[in-house]
Amino acid sequence: MFINILNIDGSAFLYLWDNLLLDYSLNTLYLIFITSIISLIFGIIPAWFVSNYDFRFRRFFDIALYLPLAIPTYIMAFTYSDILSFTGPLQSFLRKNIPSISEIFNADYLQIEVLGVILGLSLYPYIYTACRLSFSLIGSTYINMSKNLGLSGIKLFYKVILPLSRPAIFSGLFLVIMEVLNEYGAVKYFGVNTYTTGIFRAWFSMGNETAAIQLACLLLLIVFVILFLQKTFSKKTKFYYSKNSATEKLRFINKNKRFYAYFSCFIPFFIGFAVPLSYIVTNFLINYKDVNFSKLFTLSINSISVSAISSVIIICVAILFLYVEKISKLSINKTINQITSLGYVIPGAVIGLAVILLFTKTPALQSFSLVGSFAVLIYAYVFRFLAVGKSPIKSSLEKHPESFDETAKTLGLGPLKTLRKIHFPINKLALLIAFIVTFVDLLKELPITLILRPFNFDTLATQTYQFAIEEMMVESAVYSLAIIVIGAVMLVILKSMVNKQINAS
Amino acid sequence: MKNIIIFCLTILILSSCSDQTKKSNEVNLYSQRHYTVDEKQYEAFELETGIKVNVIKANADELIERLKNEGENSPADLFVSVDAGKLQKAGSFNLLQPLESSIINSNISEDLKDLNKLWVPITYRARIMVYSKERVKAEELSTYSDLADSKWRERVLVRSSSNAYNQALLSSIVANKGADYALDWATSLVKNFARDPKGNDRDQVKAIAAGQGDVAIVNSYYIGLLLSSEKEEELKAGKSVGVFFPNQGENEGGSHINISGIGLAKNAPNKENAIKLVEFLTGVSAQNRYVNTSYEYSVNPLVKPAEIVGSWGDFKRDSLDLNQLGVHRNSAIEIFDKSAWK
Repeated sequence: MFINILNIDGSAFLYLWDNLLLDYSLNTLYLIFITSIISLIFGIIPAWFVSNYDFRFRRFFDIALYLPLAIPTYIMAFTYSDILSFTGPLQSFLRKNIPSISEIFNADYLQIEVLGVILGLSLYPYIYTACRLSFSLIGSTYINMSKNLGLSGIKLFYKVILPLSRPAIFSGLFLVIMEVLNEYGAVKYFGVNTYTTGIFRAWFSMGNETAAIQLACLLLLIVFVILFLQKTFSKKTKFYYSKNSATEKLRFINKNKRFYAYFSCFIPFFIGFAVPLSYIVTNFLINYKDVNFSKLFTLSINSISVSAISSVIIICVAILFLYVEKISKLSINKTINQITSLGYVIPGAVIGLAVILLFTKTPALQSFSLVGSFAVLIYAYVFRFLAVGKSPIKSSLEKHPESFDETAKTLGLGPLKTLRKIHFPINKLALLIAFIVTFVDLLKELPITLILRPFNFDTLATQTYQFAIEEMMVESAVYSLAIIVIGAVMLVILKSMVNKQINAS
Repeated sequence: MKNIIIFCLTILILSSCSDQTKKSNEVNLYSQRHYTVDEKQYEAFELETGIKVNVIKANADELIERLKNEGENSPADLFVSVDAGKLQKAGSFNLLQPLESSIINSNISEDLKDLNKLWVPITYRARIMVYSKERVKAEELSTYSDLADSKWRERVLVRSSSNAYNQALLSSIVANKGADYALDWATSLVKNFARDPKGNDRDQVKAIAAGQGDVAIVNSYYIGLLLSSEKEEELKAGKSVGVFFPNQGENEGGSHINISGIGLAKNAPNKENAIKLVEFLTGVSAQNRYVNTSYEYSVNPLVKPAEIVGSWGDFKRDSLDLNQLGVHRNSAIEIFDKSAWK
């Protein structure tokens, strides 16, 4: 696909430059900015309270704060625009009961800022997850030491914890930014033109592949810049979590602080999960009698099986890449590794078409009509979601000292045996996290499934979309509800495993 | 862990194998239509003929790319789109073959047929105007061109130019009146926008109800859907607007319409079954199902529109050859970009 860049068609670029590029770039950057801020706030602060303080409902919030991840961004966007709209519950309620202030709320909510907040709400769990793990693993040694040096409270957080957790925060933020960059459904609905909507417009509507590819390159350029920033930041902070430091629990005494803890935990959970969920449930109840439950069951099985199988394969591939990078230490492997992560930033539909091109135009593959088989669908999933599976495994691998490998080597273990006997057990938690995060992402996946799926194969996501795009939110409710419930159950399981591990260490 | 992987791989292989076993008594669709009514149509067809309908639903442009790349190996028999422009596009890539059948021919209104016989319309919809009953009188409205008049400054609502329905509308204006006229029209219309284009058609109606604008350009069947909504507030919003068919005057061409249509794939492996399906879909019983479930208009002159839709009265359709909606698509999009219609 990218070979075509070489025959650059100047006119296409000039056209983009003249009419659209500035708008696309500003929108994309602005949206990334808002979403990042929101997800950092909603991710880091609650993670800090939950990791270090004991308060009532702490365990509940620890699980609940993950849950917005179960709601696909486009459903979040459609749902919120419905809730806030003139005919939605908020404005209707105000008109009926408090007409005097209803005018204040009668506004146009389809704004880029609102979109940024909505995306932040559905994406902050990436940062929360990363921080939560990192904060818990930092352990008491660093904290005690800092305390002995006279740091306390907020200062401790800023001066010690945050810098120590920077790699984790960045890996979470990286996922958030990638999600924003390839977001299509919600962005289009809000009428915000980003690089991704531009790619779609150029390629699909105008048939101008050159312009589409140039935009895709700009998109990749942004990703490279972010990767570079992440690298320069992380370089300064190479450290390992010390092995034998116990995790520490602090208790609250300060009432004020308790309020902040509740507030910072409750808000993201409430507006990121409870509100949209209850609205979807209400919609579901409206047309409860029309729901085809056998279809719902089939689609759920489809979604679960294809997501589970693909997640396992993605994780195997991720381990392969990461481990080769770890033991070989060649910089070329590092580069390859980073390139394989780029799939995550390319819009799904573009990957879908690139895969079709690959399987229909490569002479060796041409004779089998593979497109439309599960194998090709899963191949595309792997390409797209490798970065998601890799991220937790990578940060877990990085936490363990190099000395493990060296010791293993001196004990005469070969690389495969080291992987199985040492890295596999000590990174088990990360593997499970990777599995569930990938699974939940696949459950929500839409554009690749749409274009590459076999005949008559529907998933919960495609069915939801089918109704939502036709502006039938009520009919789509039951299928989005199923996605959310399955995703939420997986996340709760994930959480209980993570907690066990944290408590065990 | 190992066992899980092996288990999963086995399932994977088995499932992809079962996929390969081909039944001959079937017909394969690449469809852009994804309404509930379609599933009902295919079930009814299967019941009547015993032919199984297999469907892949995705966006039209992606399906065209897939067809193009699959070439002779493509399993697709029929390509279904909600836009004549996309059917024209598929035809221009030589992906379709003529679809001829006397039954289909007699089922369809003469003026809706494709001159090249490369596609068959199955339903159509009009891009109409809705207006606030409070703030606008129907007599003030006349044509699409008139919406560009300065009396509508900051009063017009419409969705984004990425939307295929808007692209088709502007293509029709380019075809009817030329690109220069279309650019002037779009530029003036953008000045009249009540807000940046966004949301879907339903949202434009809600925005009128909310007082953010006075008149909107929307597709007819969305109004039908809104007026049959189970939510009281939505119903209220739907009832607060009036429906107006533009360009009905004597010297005007009629309201812009677009079809949902089907093309027979160039390399269709189940050609006979495919033709049977199209015959079925254009027949009276299937057409009745379309109009009453998705509030579209029927292409079969024997079938009346749904009650809600019928209550808006008859209207004159733009007689433009609908292939022109595809021919002028790129220049329409360029005009959108130049006029800063987001």
